[in-house]
Amino acid sequence: MAHIWPIGGGKGGSGKSFLTSSLGRLLAAMGKKTLLVDLDLGSANLHTLLDVPYPEKSFSDFIRRKIPRLEDVVLSTPVPNLYIISGAHDTLDIANLPYEQKSKTLRAIARLDYDWIMLDLGAGTSFNTLDFFLISQNSIFVTTPEPTSIENVYRLVRSIYFRRIRQYFTATEFKALEQEVTRKFGEGSFNKPDCIIQTIKTTHPDKGELLESDFNSFKFKLVLNQLRRHDNIALGAQICKIIEKHLGFHIEFAGNVAFDDRVHDAICQRVSFLERYPYTRTAYDLRELSKNIAQSGSQQLLLRYS
Amino acid sequence: MKKDFAKLNYYEMLDIGPDAAFFEIRHAYNAALQIYEADSMVSYSLFSTEERRKILELLERAYLTLINAQERKKYDAELAQAGIIPATTDKGPHRRPACIYDVKRQTGTTGLPKKTNKSILRESVGKNKKISEILSGPDINGAALKSIRNELGIPLERIAQETRVRLDYLNCIEEDKIDRLPAAAFLKGFIKAYLKSLCVEPADDISTRYMQWLERARKSG
Repeated sequence: MAHIWPIGGGKGGSGKSFLTSSLGRLLAAMGKKTLLVDLDLGSANLHTLLDVPYPEKSFSDFIRRKIPRLEDVVLSTPVPNLYIISGAHDTLDIANLPYEQKSKTLRAIARLDYDWIMLDLGAGTSFNTLDFFLISQNSIFVTTPEPTSIENVYRLVRSIYFRRIRQYFTATEFKALEQEVTRKFGEGSFNKPDCIIQTIKTTHPDKGELLESDFNSFKFKLVLNQLRRHDNIALGAQICKIIEKHLGFHIEFAGNVAFDDRVHDAICQRVSFLERYPYTRTAYDLRELSKNIAQSGSQQLLLRYS
Repeated sequence: MKKDFAKLNYYEMLDIGPDAAFFEIRHAYNAALQIYEADSMVSYSLFSTEERRKILELLERAYLTLINAQERKKYDAELAQAGIIPATTDKGPHRRPACIYDVKRQTGTTGLPKKTNKSILRESVGKNKKISEILSGPDINGAALKSIRNELGIPLERIAQETRVRLDYLNCIEEDKIDRLPAAAFLKGFIKAYLKSLCVEPADDISTRYMQWLERARKSG
């Protein structure tokens, strides 16, 4: 089974796609058959970063049943061992993927035969994004050392929590649960996953147990991207600590990636930053990060769709 | 699963073990403040103002309890009774941070001697019988000065360095090369400086005696 790594982070512009493409290149260079899937639906960029400017097939072809099998949408890139499912030239309404299409996609991705699959997810906390996160027990959160970006990471973590809880219940059950939680903890407490979990433990002990084991099996990683020289290098570890203490998610700090203006230059010239500037601090950080990720295995969560 | 912050014990709040030393507690408190302070980037947006105020209050109480030896003992007893931490009768000597500079280092092993060079010199001048013999002798001349210096085992170069008197002058003084000595006005000062750098007291008197000897020597020579 493939190792699936969704990469997201809540806020746009934090370098998710750049990180995905760089990690993909590095993992492919390690000899692993790597597939990058552009699931930033509606604002896909990954093909540009991988120098596949005019992809002849895209994710839409699978959704619109022009190509029945997802593995046939895969394109090869100029990098050996590296493949991509591009989102270029998607239909303009792709961002609002209907539920059935999404489950179909998730099942198809889980069946793909690659060593590593990285999902480049979009910003925001729409259900689509959250569900793609929940395909795997592993995922990578990307944030920059700015309050806006950090704020969105917390929000994303809470939303994933919430979404996972939601998946265990039917709509009516969930409505009843909301009323119960509000009655017990007061107005606004339905926004706090820990209040919900506590309620579930009393009302549905079996589901509470399942959820708890789910949450304990999550192995999230946090990457602090675009770290400038004067930024606090302990920030990433502190964020992980506070998420663990106050949100109850285990999240491991995977490393800092230094800010470099030349990343912008490399993207503008549409060349690989790692090849053009291999001896920069940023390239070094990326290589360390890829080693860290290559060492951690992953298992897929069993999907539950009612 | 997550526990309510208010229900954590003080050690858990500060992320330290029950055997943490005082410096570790202080360190942990500072680290926690960095995370929970109002302008901290880490906890920004995670808490409401009210929640943050409560957390900071709890942290402060935790810190003030644990940093106070008596309060901590009481608190430990409470925790031990509840079975949260193992009861310990004696925690042994408290750990301290490792010293970068060991000020309590034994003398005589390595490094700087405890006493300054000058006080040692002064002591050996007072103890040395030969020096007192020379000083109580009739004449203080260059040769006498030289033998004092040799008794103390101090090279002439060091005196030159300390007194800033030219080495060849010092040599002439010690060798009693009367015709090559500097003018009397300078010479007296040089002798005084020489004596002071050897800690031979009283420099004034001895230098006067030297000058008297020199006068006599010049007359007779």
